[in-house]
Amino acid sequence: MLHIANLYASVAGRTILNGLDLDVPTGEVHAIMGPNGSGKTTLSNVLSGRDGYDVSGTVTFDGVDLVPLAPEARAAAGVFVAFQHPVEIPGVGNMYFLRTAVNSIRSHRGLPELAAVEFLGLAKEHMARLAMDPAFLSRSVNAGFSGGEKKRNEILQMSMLEPRLAILDETDSGLDIDALRIVAQGIERLRSPHRSMLIITHHTPLLDDVQPDRVHVLHGGRIVRSGGPELAHELEADGYGTLPIGVSG
Amino acid sequence: MSVTAHAPIPTERDERWHYAPLDEINARMERSVAPCGDVPTSVTPMLIDAMVGATGARLVFVNGMHTAELSDCHQLPAGVRCDVSNTSGGGGPPVATVTVDEGVRFEEPLRVVHVAVPDADAVKSLLSRARTIIELGTDAHAVVVETFGGLDGSRASTMTESSTTIRLGDRAELAYYRIQIEALDATHVGHTLIDQGADSSVGMTSVTLGGDIARNAIHVHLDGPGARADLAGIAVTGGHQRHDTVVTIDHAASRCTSNQRFNGVVDDHGRGAFSGEIVVQPGTTGTDAHQSSRNLVLDPNAEADARPWLRILADDVRCTHGATVGRLDDDALHYLRSRGIPLVAARAMLIDAFLRNVTDSIAHEAVRAHVAALVTSAASEASEASTRATRPAWPVEHP
Repeated sequence: MLHIANLYASVAGRTILNGLDLDVPTGEVHAIMGPNGSGKTTLSNVLSGRDGYDVSGTVTFDGVDLVPLAPEARAAAGVFVAFQHPVEIPGVGNMYFLRTAVNSIRSHRGLPELAAVEFLGLAKEHMARLAMDPAFLSRSVNAGFSGGEKKRNEILQMSMLEPRLAILDETDSGLDIDALRIVAQGIERLRSPHRSMLIITHHTPLLDDVQPDRVHVLHGGRIVRSGGPELAHELEADGYGTLPIGVSG
Repeated sequence: MSVTAHAPIPTERDERWHYAPLDEINARMERSVAPCGDVPTSVTPMLIDAMVGATGARLVFVNGMHTAELSDCHQLPAGVRCDVSNTSGGGGPPVATVTVDEGVRFEEPLRVVHVAVPDADAVKSLLSRARTIIELGTDAHAVVVETFGGLDGSRASTMTESSTTIRLGDRAELAYYRIQIEALDATHVGHTLIDQGADSSVGMTSVTLGGDIARNAIHVHLDGPGARADLAGIAVTGGHQRHDTVVTIDHAASRCTSNQRFNGVVDDHGRGAFSGEIVVQPGTTGTDAHQSSRNLVLDPNAEADARPWLRILADDVRCTHGATVGRLDDDALHYLRSRGIPLVAARAMLIDAFLRNVTDSIAHEAVRAHVAALVTSAASEASEASTRATRPAWPVEHP
């Protein structure tokens, strides 16, 4: 499970995460909701091991302390972050990138590397489920992709890398209804008793398709409220304006 | 000390030598000795195969001396010749001559290979003089790969002074690859002169990876109307290497087109420089000239210099130039690493990607694969070198 206790993160002297506590047990899907500026993206950046933050506090995953680990070591430990704004990398082919990533993770797990042909078969299978054109493989990573295509590419990577903890940062933002459904189905397919998921969002439509076990409200850099799936709809109706700040539970 | 008519090394300040350590080059020149004796046994056909990444037609020179047993020019069709001559006379070095006759189209790469091998027993570096003449008749078409390779010396190093002269007849087309992969302690002073007839076209790709001090001067003379020159280059400069690329394109006739795309990667304490000069002569019309220099700086101690230099003496000219100096994109690096790709491999992928606009544009597939492999291996060496030491914070990117 993911265990976060008293997590502080600041950038350029400004504190963004302010004593955050959160536990996501194995096999559960949790949602984090919160207004803009509450620290949602900082949380996903800090969990992915992004440089540039001063971090203190505890973050463990299955007992492993993630804080000192490099991003690639976190990925090897089973952590995957689907980014809100996947970066475009012209010149790096999507297929080469994906195969290098899959084989890096496989070698960490003591599995043999996939040969090009095996990999291609597997990639095409996953892409078909996400209604992605195989031509995406021959393009550069995210370069010139539409918003929806980038998000699908994130889900494709997630399905192929088979993480044990998936953190989805606003994966639903900027998607039309059809793309949202495909992405939601992709996430739902990965739901498993062996996998934890943290869905960061400020909309509820994704949570209609991917029913979370728990919903947390992030505000001012900490979790101020937690509840069942009904909390998402309560927030949708009433907004964040009436939040009882400081009450956690 | 003037070495040849084509490529004099100046003894005093010359703007074209602005970035080259001239005093050091002249001192090394003075200290080196001419090679004598047999071809070292370390130079085998397999070594040449590995150096050029292919078998096939080739002229091989070791320390400036033609080496017949390593060369192979027997299977060429009529109108295509690879010879050795001594046209420079007066005891000058032998000249590799590649000739393609009028109207002959030959698609297979013709290779000229110069190998610099240090003297195992001596402390003085050996000076090799490499001379090549490539001549294409009217409407001729050819692919030429010229490789400057070398071996590491235990005590002494090598110095190569090269001069390649290319003459294209009207409407001739040449794809020319200049690959410099000498030893990391070698000195290389190279000069390429390209003289183009009307409506002729040259596509040159220059790859500079080797040498401790390496200067690569390219002078294109667009002498016939409608001539076109596309020049692309890659330099990967690490350790304490100094690479200096100096291009001059002289638009001496109307309706000529030139395009320069040079990419540099500097790392560690390396210094890479690119100077690109465009001259448009008076009385010409319809000139189209473009130049871009992109540089990637991997280490705060490395330095990249890019200098456009325009002398436009006519009115009807379309000319653009641009230079960038930047570092690896942190967001892209984090993205790759977050997918489990180790730092060194992630950096190598991004360096490789940066050079893609040049490697991908190589039309000949086998040459492209060979160049891509050379560049990828240089990129991963650069990546490893610059991740070995913990570095201080980066300076702010300058434009």
